[in-house]
Amino acid sequence: MASKSQEPLIGDGSLHVGDRVVYPNQGICRITGVSTKQIAGQSWEVVTLSREEDGATVMVPRAKVMGIGLRKVADVAAIDRVFDELASPSNDPQLDWKVRHRENADRMTGGGLFGTVEVLKGLHALSRVRPLPPKERELYDNARHLLVGEIAAAMNIPLHVAEDNLDYALWPPPGMKRKGHVLPPATLGPPAPLRAAGDDDLGFEEDDEAETPAAVPAVAAGNVDEEEEEQEAEKAVPAAAPKPAPAKKPAAPAKKPAPAGKKKTPAAKTHAGKKAPTAKKKAPKAKVKRKK
Amino acid sequence: MIRIVTLSEFPPDVIDHVSRRIHAAYGMGCELEGDGAIPKGAIDDEQSAYDAVKVVDEIDDDVTLYADDKIIYLTKEPLTAPEGPMGRGPVDGYAQYGGGKALATAHGLGEKGMPTLEAGLAKRAAHFVGHLWDLHHCFDPRCAMHPGWSPGFAQYPEVALCLFCREKSERKIKLGST
Repeated sequence: MASKSQEPLIGDGSLHVGDRVVYPNQGICRITGVSTKQIAGQSWEVVTLSREEDGATVMVPRAKVMGIGLRKVADVAAIDRVFDELASPSNDPQLDWKVRHRENADRMTGGGLFGTVEVLKGLHALSRVRPLPPKERELYDNARHLLVGEIAAAMNIPLHVAEDNLDYALWPPPGMKRKGHVLPPATLGPPAPLRAAGDDDLGFEEDDEAETPAAVPAVAAGNVDEEEEEQEAEKAVPAAAPKPAPAKKPAAPAKKPAPAGKKKTPAAKTHAGKKAPTAKKKAPKAKVKRKK
Repeated sequence: MIRIVTLSEFPPDVIDHVSRRIHAAYGMGCELEGDGAIPKGAIDDEQSAYDAVKVVDEIDDDVTLYADDKIIYLTKEPLTAPEGPMGRGPVDGYAQYGGGKALATAHGLGEKGMPTLEAGLAKRAAHFVGHLWDLHHCFDPRCAMHPGWSPGFAQYPEVALCLFCREKSERKIKLGST
């Protein structure tokens, strides 16, 4: 049986085979071993990691383990401090997009737990003021994904419970307390502007006329650069800030016409396995068989 | 295919509305599969609500699911969840992130300040099905992935996904094995 002294040294010696670690921008991984690989005629000692989310294998040169920011999963005390930070009142969001972009990129590349928290909290505060540009929206989702994964891993709770708790801090429900202090209830940010009605016709008009049509906010997506995104988001604010009109009314006249590069996403038309819903018929109870 | 299994009695028109709204949100077929029962062992220690995680993990049914099928259980019972770092908060469902099973409750719908049973259940069901596609909570109050306890849930009862959530769900659906 191999003892710890016989194990290969990984990083500064604090990491061992079998440990759960956080790989910056990748999420929770498990160290599966250290091996030697022949790459481009050279012999490299690599640390092999398995990403828990999807089982993907990640190989890191042993000498670079600490340089890339690989670290152990946070402990419960650190997670507690994360929630203190999330539940505390947020500072004014950084409005200069260049500064914000550089700071957030550095924090995410660093891979630190509190760096990810700052990215999430900063972008969350910004989303209270105006809709986020697409790239920052994606960054917000990535930061949230990494944080939820680490909270779940550290506290040994399901991902769903971890995300709910994260949002109890960010969007406190009425009466939610943190260490004895009642948190101020959540306020709504501006909704993204609606796409013109009729873009997503799924053929339900005959019986859904009285209902609201599926409304899809139309934030520009695709290959616009960051500055354009920022400008578009700023333009979108006046349209989004007032209380939105009921969705029955066509939203198109109030909005800027869609740019040529804007893409539509006809979800229903692209899916080969689409099947019309058939819920009106009586429930086929025989299909659900109960075991004793 | 998204399959609906009811764990309580629901009027057929409510289930019809829910399946249509889910279909519209994700572009996937959605149909009622049948009904089932909440496992008795899932009731919490205070005997006041069902532990949503236990309900989904322990439910004993034999629904045949193919590769990318998702299943959403609908109930009227109050739900709770394991206590987390923020304590206990409102729970209106549970989903196995990136998995196949989710649960949504109609508890509290139709009360003052809440949407109707029909609209509210459709929005909750679409929300938890979204988690099955790895969607996270969204800050857009109009999006179905906005947290259910936020004022946006009652303010925008229609089932709609924001562009980001919609594109992300489409990417996930396209990556599916079928």
